[in-house]
Amino acid sequence: MAADSHITAGRPSPGYQRHLKWLLVVPLAIFFVVFFVIPVGLLFATSFNPQVIGQVAVTSELTLDNYIRFFSRSNYLMATGRSVLLATIVSLTTLVIAYPMAFVIAKTKNAARNTVLLILVLAAMQLDMVIRIYGMMVILGDNGLINQMLVAIGLTDPDNPVQLMYNFLGVVLGLVQFSLPFMILTLVGVIRGINPSLEEAARSLGATPRRTFLRVTVPASMPGILSGSLLVFALSISSYIVPALMGGFRVGVLPIHIFQQVAEGARFQFGATIAVILFLISAGAVAVYLKVGSRNSGGLA
Amino acid sequence: MGRTIPLPMLILAVLGFCYMLLPILVVVLAGLTAGEFLTFPPEGLSLRWVVAFLQSEKYLSAFFFSFRLALLTMIVATILGTAAALFLSRTRFIGRGAMRAFFLSPVVLPGVVIGFSLFAFYISTGIGLTRTIWGLWIGHILYSTPYVIGTVGAALASYDVSLDEAARSLGASPMRTFRKITLPNISQGIQAGSIFAFIVSFGQFEVSLFLSAPNAEPLPIAMYNSLRYKFDPSAAAAGIFAIILVTASVLLTNRLVNIGRLLEKK
Repeated sequence: MAADSHITAGRPSPGYQRHLKWLLVVPLAIFFVVFFVIPVGLLFATSFNPQVIGQVAVTSELTLDNYIRFFSRSNYLMATGRSVLLATIVSLTTLVIAYPMAFVIAKTKNAARNTVLLILVLAAMQLDMVIRIYGMMVILGDNGLINQMLVAIGLTDPDNPVQLMYNFLGVVLGLVQFSLPFMILTLVGVIRGINPSLEEAARSLGATPRRTFLRVTVPASMPGILSGSLLVFALSISSYIVPALMGGFRVGVLPIHIFQQVAEGARFQFGATIAVILFLISAGAVAVYLKVGSRNSGGLA
Repeated sequence: MGRTIPLPMLILAVLGFCYMLLPILVVVLAGLTAGEFLTFPPEGLSLRWVVAFLQSEKYLSAFFFSFRLALLTMIVATILGTAAALFLSRTRFIGRGAMRAFFLSPVVLPGVVIGFSLFAFYISTGIGLTRTIWGLWIGHILYSTPYVIGTVGAALASYDVSLDEAARSLGASPMRTFRKITLPNISQGIQAGSIFAFIVSFGQFEVSLFLSAPNAEPLPIAMYNSLRYKFDPSAAAAGIFAIILVTASVLLTNRLVNIGRLLEKK
């Protein structure tokens, strides 16, 4: 075998072939530079231009006015705080709901049953979020299924329904729905990778199942917990559709402000400033995620 | 005995699955309801909203617009993504991890921001892509290619490179080795990746928000615009068709690649 690979290595012009390999990546690299790096770069540049309504193209005038405006208006600072708080709450809630689901999937030994569970998670993840929100609105709305049930059993007054959406709670519930599959897929890989003899050792040393779970399984899945939470944070702080529909535009988070500035006010420069700030928060979470996840995350997430 | 799943854990997991899947089930019921909207208890089943969807100019054209866009996206994303995955798996150089992260990054970065920057880029450069299917197409390729890279990358990671070496040592040219040995072995991964690319584009909302034109909307945008004002059960009927499409794609993916293995360490 060693001789074979020797022959391969000894073929003429290996350097020439090594250069050919780079041709594989050139098309995508060009595409990403032209349609990703340059547009985002121009967006950053736009945010340093003076605000002119209707003006799109980047000019050579530089100013920090947009950033000063952003950081001196309580309106935008509060939107930033609300976005960060929302994404944090969603990360923690998603983690608590997703962990038992991931645990059950990881520990299901029956191959067919395991595949069915994974198919359900993947199908939920790939399904268009607008459709899932439609379902949530039918369940949680003022005339929704939950309120109808509460009225039917006489717990609430039909004129005064329980507000389950068009508020912060509704946005959290929607974003958790959106994030669950991502968190589950991240956790399953990690939980599955825990050496079962660790748990067995704890049990044989006399630990109760509960104690084994809390002292062995959970700490061993910490890398997945961390990277899953960061991923969900980045995904949920970026969402426009969920705050728009589940919050009924009453929960003003950063993506909503961007759309309002640009689509309704044609204020491209200030819109770009908000977009840059959202981009940096999200990219920061992703950077930490990659640092944590490079050691242990799955291929899909 | 330590193998079994504790009961409280099982109950919490079942509740979690309900939370994840009930809204989807409700969409199906809402699209099949006999009443004006879904009530509790349900008024019975009928196909009236499905028929309404099939006759509605708005949703049906949006459905086919999305389908066409997803097909176009799939073709380019599969070619660009497979080539890049081959490169990433076959080359060792400093910064390879960074390059991979860069190509995967659109998935986790804010879609509204990417959509906005492309929108501004199209307007300011005047290249005629503003609010066209081609402008949307570019945004969708950006978001779908990472899924191809991930899936094909997983197929390549479990591919035994010594097969290539054997073919080469027997005198096959690099191109022939690729066509006759490598490609057949990773073709299922490529097919699975292209299905992912299709479905990601089909359900894409955030990037489309700034890029779609009022007269040519993808399905998620059309549904969003109607949901803002009223509950239209024919939107739920459109949703049923999307649910069937997604479920079929995931089942097909599962036949092509081992879904469980996609989650394992690279």
